[in-house]
Amino acid sequence: MSNVISASGITLAYDDGAKEIIKNATFNIKKGEFVFITGPSGSGKSTLLKALYGQLKVNEGNLVIGGLDLATARTRKLQELRTHLGIIFQDYKLVNEWTVAKNVVLPLMIAGYSVDVQNTQAQRLLKHVKLSEHADKYPLELSGGEQQRVGVARALAKNPVVILADEPTGNLDDYSSNVIWDLMENACQQLETTVLVVTHKIPSIFSLPYRHFIIENKGVYEVH
Amino acid sequence: MKFIKNHLMFILPLMAILLGIEFYLVFDRTTDSYEKGLKEGYSMLVVSHKPISLKTLQKLNSHISASEKIERKNIVSEIAKGVSKDASKEILDALPHFYSVRLDSYLGTSQLEQIKKDLEAHSNIKRVETFGSSYSSSYRLFSFIKLSLKIFIAFMAVVSLFLIIKQMEIWKYAHRQRMQVMEIFGAPLMLRSGILFKVAMADAIIAAVLTSLFFLYLKFQWAENSGIDMMMHNKEALFKTTDIGILLVVALSIVIVAVYTVVFSAKGVEE
Repeated sequence: MSNVISASGITLAYDDGAKEIIKNATFNIKKGEFVFITGPSGSGKSTLLKALYGQLKVNEGNLVIGGLDLATARTRKLQELRTHLGIIFQDYKLVNEWTVAKNVVLPLMIAGYSVDVQNTQAQRLLKHVKLSEHADKYPLELSGGEQQRVGVARALAKNPVVILADEPTGNLDDYSSNVIWDLMENACQQLETTVLVVTHKIPSIFSLPYRHFIIENKGVYEVH
Repeated sequence: MKFIKNHLMFILPLMAILLGIEFYLVFDRTTDSYEKGLKEGYSMLVVSHKPISLKTLQKLNSHISASEKIERKNIVSEIAKGVSKDASKEILDALPHFYSVRLDSYLGTSQLEQIKKDLEAHSNIKRVETFGSSYSSSYRLFSFIKLSLKIFIAFMAVVSLFLIIKQMEIWKYAHRQRMQVMEIFGAPLMLRSGILFKVAMADAIIAAVLTSLFFLYLKFQWAENSGIDMMMHNKEALFKTTDIGILLVVALSIVIVAVYTVVFSAKGVEE
């Protein structure tokens, strides 16, 4: 299978390169793989994820995702790439003044789908994450676990090539966490979506085969 | 309540700028006729030994636009009442030629002095009278009022712009979360700032319409009953249809600049 994500000697840094977080990292991720990236707090897990969705520029090396080299890509290309990604955040990043249904179809709205398609998809996605009855509620009316399910539904809205998740269960209890892991396993298994999860701990209930990378001393190493 | 307050905080300073601009336009138009009156009402008296043509006068100074000969017979008939015909003819022959000279524009005192010098330099011209003192005081008063108004409007515009920027900061905070989330998911600039543009443009239109209504009221209600001659006679100058366009363009321009400032400063994802 071809690589969906390919990092070759990448260096990521803040403060105009003064503060290096990741140095000379190389790794490849294939289509349909489930990948965990772990590491201690402040090791650069979220920084790597930011670079993967183009929010942080690569200082050195090449980072190719879906055929696009993020080191040289222009803003318009980055915007286009992001419409093919599903991104899940620890703090959900939902729009609080929008209803749950509107939050879920944000990627479809950006892609210019008609309101009818958006409504149909909102129903389907909310049914999938078992939140149909909450469609007209606002995010702050939901529990943390429910809000994260909205986040997962939004990430799945456009059948993304890659799902990037930053500590998706970091703020959730065990029950809600398990629901989220189930949803992501399903996406990987049934849709062949590549899933890359940044987390401090791999869940014990996880049943799918996965690859595990660890970030240590600015390097990214695969754990076998 | 919060919604109304949010919008008023943007509409009011915008209206202050628009009112300033419209007041200046109105002032300019109403005083235009006054300025014309000053210009046309003013004339120099040129006394020459021999008859002198307008062309000759214009060669001496290009600001001279017209000259009118004052008939000597009329002067003699006024001053030589009861005098014999021969005597009055002698007076007529001895009298120099008088011309009332008009200027092409509203000039300052230094320029008037220059015209006087230019004319007096000609050997045929005996004397030039400028009636400068009353003209000068009117001119200075007029200039002072105009300058004061400009300074006041500029000051008001600067203060209002600061208020608009402050309000923009609040909008930036209010819309930041939505715009950042949309940016993460690849929304182009126009889509993620679309709502902000719509709201701001609606406010700009409201501000322009309210300002126009205020001046329409002045034109059709207040001016009639004001008892001020200048206003009653210059009612048309109070508001013109083109002013709506000017106010709209200014309001929308301010809004577009303001929204772009917010949009670009709201870039980047929160940690």
